Amino acid sequence: MDIDDILREVDPVSHQIPQETRDLQDLTRAWVAERSTPELLPWPSNGLFERINDKIKRQIEKVEEMTGDMDPKTNFALIVIQTELERFKYLVRSFLRTRIAKIDKHLLHYISNDNLRTRMSQIEEAYARRHQLLLHNHYLNSFLGTFPPAMQNLNDTAGNISMIDSPDLDSAVFIRLLRDAEIECHGVDVDGVLTGKEGDIVILRWSDAKGLVEKGDAELV
Amino acid sequence: MALPLPPGLTQNEVAFLAEMEMVTVVPRQRLDSIDLLGGKTPQLRPPHRAQLPLWLALLLKKQRRANIVPPAWMHPASLAEIIHRETKEDPEAFSPPPPPPSRALYSQPGTARRLNPSYLDDFTQTQQDSQQDPNSILSPPFLPSNVAESPAGYLPYHWLEVAEALLTHAGDDMPAPAGEVRSLLRDLVEVRAAKMRSSTSALEGFGDAYLTLRGVGAMELAENRAFLAGLVDGVRKIGASAEATRREEEEEARRGGDYGGDGDEDSDEDMGL
Repeated sequence: MDIDDILREVDPVSHQIPQETRDLQDLTRAWVAERSTPELLPWPSNGLFERINDKIKRQIEKVEEMTGDMDPKTNFALIVIQTELERFKYLVRSFLRTRIAKIDKHLLHYISNDNLRTRMSQIEEAYARRHQLLLHNHYLNSFLGTFPPAMQNLNDTAGNISMIDSPDLDSAVFIRLLRDAEIECHGVDVDGVLTGKEGDIVILRWSDAKGLVEKGDAELV
Repeated sequence: MALPLPPGLTQNEVAFLAEMEMVTVVPRQRLDSIDLLGGKTPQLRPPHRAQLPLWLALLLKKQRRANIVPPAWMHPASLAEIIHRETKEDPEAFSPPPPPPSRALYSQPGTARRLNPSYLDDFTQTQQDSQQDPNSILSPPFLPSNVAESPAGYLPYHWLEVAEALLTHAGDDMPAPAGEVRSLLRDLVEVRAAKMRSSTSALEGFGDAYLTLRGVGAMELAENRAFLAGLVDGVRKIGASAEATRREEEEEARRGGDYGGDGDEDSDEDMGL
């Protein structure tokens, strides 16, 4: 720490949030959102995950270097660093596992639609395709192969009934309003417009909440 | 490999989130700044107070390297005030969340501005002052609502988890005997649990589009999430056909109106001809 750092710390002007802290906030928000919504959300496009993965990798290297040092003072810093590292890894792991669970559940739904496919990262898409391939081949080998060829597809839409299962976008979600906003809500008996104040926590359908969350007026809780 | 949990945060996950809340500590020994993934920790120099995330504060507390300053809302007087408000003043609603934090402006001495920019603020002014991205609005657990300076008389979003953690691991730092704080908290939990249960009667018509729970806490939400979401979803599924019929009728009525308008225009044209 040099004099600039000390000045920055006591300077009331620059209460700017550092990039690291903002990344943690974005990661946390992305994780909570992914855990709460019925459908897969778009992969964060601003390179958030690449950045965090890089940092985790570097931090692990640092821990490996520091473990050789047995000075009790740095030893405690090492414990703190490792604890935090585990917390970050938990967030990342839980986020990815949630996404995989959603992709697994509605595999064809996400691969067959161009729009939805862009929500997956490259690795996720490759995983989804391979998974679907294995599954379909397995079905073909075990029972589907004995069916007439016209009935061996898994994505028939004959008779206005689609074979492709899709998530229920009207499921109830909990959101917190980050700004005052008017929400159009769809209900069974009535449709209503809710004039929400900042900080309100509302239960409503995901299809109604989606626009607000994408605009940044609300977040999932 | 895929996560087997249903949508919605569980209690454990909420507790994990609550550990990111910032709290104020009084260090008992020096500790240099540590370069963490979430940003550098402040340098600890006794007896200067510092703000740290709860998980780190608890770690320091367990090793007797620091004492935790409990947030102002955890003082017995503040808790008693909240209980009074919840039971006497407004027995229907939850007590309101803490007011949004503000900061004094450097460029305009004497003016205060909210930490979170809202639509009403002039964004250019905001950006000049802090070079902050107008889209990055802070929300719990990243708002400083559990530090020593946070206002008394308001329950922050993660109140139950933070209070529980502080009472368990830092009971000797409490402003009053831990037992007293604990019994006040228990009263509060019970009052609010009853409200949570009766909040579903707001859906009495079984057809409302939304349910507002202003001031509810994260843990209370996590406990009741499955029940509330199940209720709302169940009502929707039972009423799905009635809703579809209603929508069709509304659509028809609207289209009927449009046709009427078109007809008028036609007749006008006819008259012109």
